[in-house]
Amino acid sequence: MITGAKEKGLYLGVDIGSSSSKAVVINQSGIICGEGIVNLGTGSKGPQISVEKALEQAGIKRADIKKCVVTGYGRLLYEGADKQITEISCHAKGVKFLWPTASTIIDIGGQDAKVIRVSPNGIVENFVMNEKCAAGTGRFLEVMARVLDCKIGALSGLAARGTPGVVISNTCTVFAESEVISQLASGKSLEDVALGAHKSIAQRIAGLCNRIGIADSVVMTGGVALNLNVVTAIETEIRHPIIRLADPQAMGALGAAIYAKEMDEENNTNR
Amino acid sequence: MMNDAINLIRELEDMGRNPKISILKTMKETGKKAVGCFPIYTPEELVYAAGMLPVGMWGGQTSGTLSDRYLQGFCCSIMKANTEQALLGQYDFLSAVIVTAYCDTLKCVIENWKIASPQLNVVPIVYPQNRKTPSGKMYMKDEFLRIKKELERIAGNVIAEQDLLESVDLYDEYRCIMQEFTDTVQDYPDLLKAKTRHLIIKAAYFMDKKIYNEKVSKLILELRKLPPENSRKRKRIILSGFISEPDGLLDIMTDNDMYVVADDLAHESRQFRTIAAKTGSPLDRMIERIALQDGCAFLFDEKKSRGRMLTAMKEKYRADGIIFCQLKFCDPEEFDYPIIKKDLEAAGVASLYIEIEQQMDSLEQLRTRIQSFGEVLA
Repeated sequence: MITGAKEKGLYLGVDIGSSSSKAVVINQSGIICGEGIVNLGTGSKGPQISVEKALEQAGIKRADIKKCVVTGYGRLLYEGADKQITEISCHAKGVKFLWPTASTIIDIGGQDAKVIRVSPNGIVENFVMNEKCAAGTGRFLEVMARVLDCKIGALSGLAARGTPGVVISNTCTVFAESEVISQLASGKSLEDVALGAHKSIAQRIAGLCNRIGIADSVVMTGGVALNLNVVTAIETEIRHPIIRLADPQAMGALGAAIYAKEMDEENNTNR
Repeated sequence: MMNDAINLIRELEDMGRNPKISILKTMKETGKKAVGCFPIYTPEELVYAAGMLPVGMWGGQTSGTLSDRYLQGFCCSIMKANTEQALLGQYDFLSAVIVTAYCDTLKCVIENWKIASPQLNVVPIVYPQNRKTPSGKMYMKDEFLRIKKELERIAGNVIAEQDLLESVDLYDEYRCIMQEFTDTVQDYPDLLKAKTRHLIIKAAYFMDKKIYNEKVSKLILELRKLPPENSRKRKRIILSGFISEPDGLLDIMTDNDMYVVADDLAHESRQFRTIAAKTGSPLDRMIERIALQDGCAFLFDEKKSRGRMLTAMKEKYRADGIIFCQLKFCDPEEFDYPIIKKDLEAAGVASLYIEIEQQMDSLEQLRTRIQSFGEVLA
């Protein structure tokens, strides 16, 4: 990432999720100049703050942005974008930009889990999403963290100290919550239960992977990719290594920014 | 010309949008008693021949807790809505209700309805598993004769052979007209957006078939006077599954430059895509139509032909993709899907699976799926 960009002709991608907002500014070479990630999602000031952070980091003003593309759950409500594109296409675009050989993308956000198949030339070939249930999503982890009385960021470390054996339902977050309480009441340790909860998510994601089929390379994006123990649990379930990019939460916003740049280039070509 | 077409479209849309008002209006205009017909196939021709009005009972936007007394949480939203409305007395204007037994929920709900709503004159009908064999057809004839007798009792008059013949002819005419209508829709993606197409087809369930046939025939004539609309930038979609409701999902397709060029929905084309030859008695023709109907999750198909049928439809209608509208907890459709998916993948047909409930009001996740599918097809 380069900061303090003075150049004009920059592109903004905004990804408004259910529980966080992400913004990325890129220049005409596709280099990231600014990034803002805020743990406030759609319906809040999160999108605005994330954009302000990204612009500030890039050292530019909103007027310096040539084109903006918005994505994510809150994309339809965001004013000021030139186009809205789904997070499925944007995650694929962002990942392929950073990891050109990626063929399968596992994206787990606040309330959605998706598995996306991408062709060698970056076209989304197919995708599957979780149904309405929050099992296998970031929301599930939030519920688990609350029941286990730890911060969401500490779950990975907690589970890493656990011993396998505790089984938590992978079909329903509400049932899973009462199961966790039962497991704790029966004397199971916090660490073992946290590991069981992670395995539960991993099984859910493996189910989605089975529906669509996975191909090398598998890349994981979204906020849940920050939880290393979940990534490892998914690797075990799908029996395939997973590439975890440095900034998994920002992939949708990066993809949106690349779309904005391509849109501008296309407009220039058509002139 | 354009105004005539638009007026007819608006009139039919209104009829499809407001089931109860439309049925009561038709009853008043024709002076006929109404008989409710459950999904998927009921011998509507017998109801019409008895001088009564067959009306479709395909759920609705009703949700509540009364139906929980009879139906578990894993029953489909159509059956829940039908049962809720029956328990609320919303169907009390019906003289009878014909209930089919195509799935486990329907099989069990018949007896519950008899007890819970005796005023509705529940008439059960069971179609044969092997509808193509001579013994299956013989059984179907016995069932139709039993239903005929029940309807005669309810109508208070005997169904004459000539009346039944005219009714079967009228329904064949309806099916011909609808095949023509759905083919015509392809040329008018603006005038006949996905929801408009759906509502016009749906209106048939609440109107007298004779009047409906006249209106749709006239609409086709008016449409043909208009030049075909430009559809180049739009994606041509085929819908499969049970039903495409809530119809907000059709708006999402329109928002994403998609239009429906054909369908394999139980609620729509499966009602009219098959017509039997005009040979034999009227009852034989009714039986033959069901025997010939293929590619339906509710009719036993040992050849598992639905995936191949959809692939052929994709070619015929030059469709860009197929959207499979899976009604949540509809077992027969769920059993079909893995086989269909395999066939479509083998044929390289792009498809999207969406799970719906008729009364769902939050469509944002569906929007993401449909929009993404559109982006994949672009």
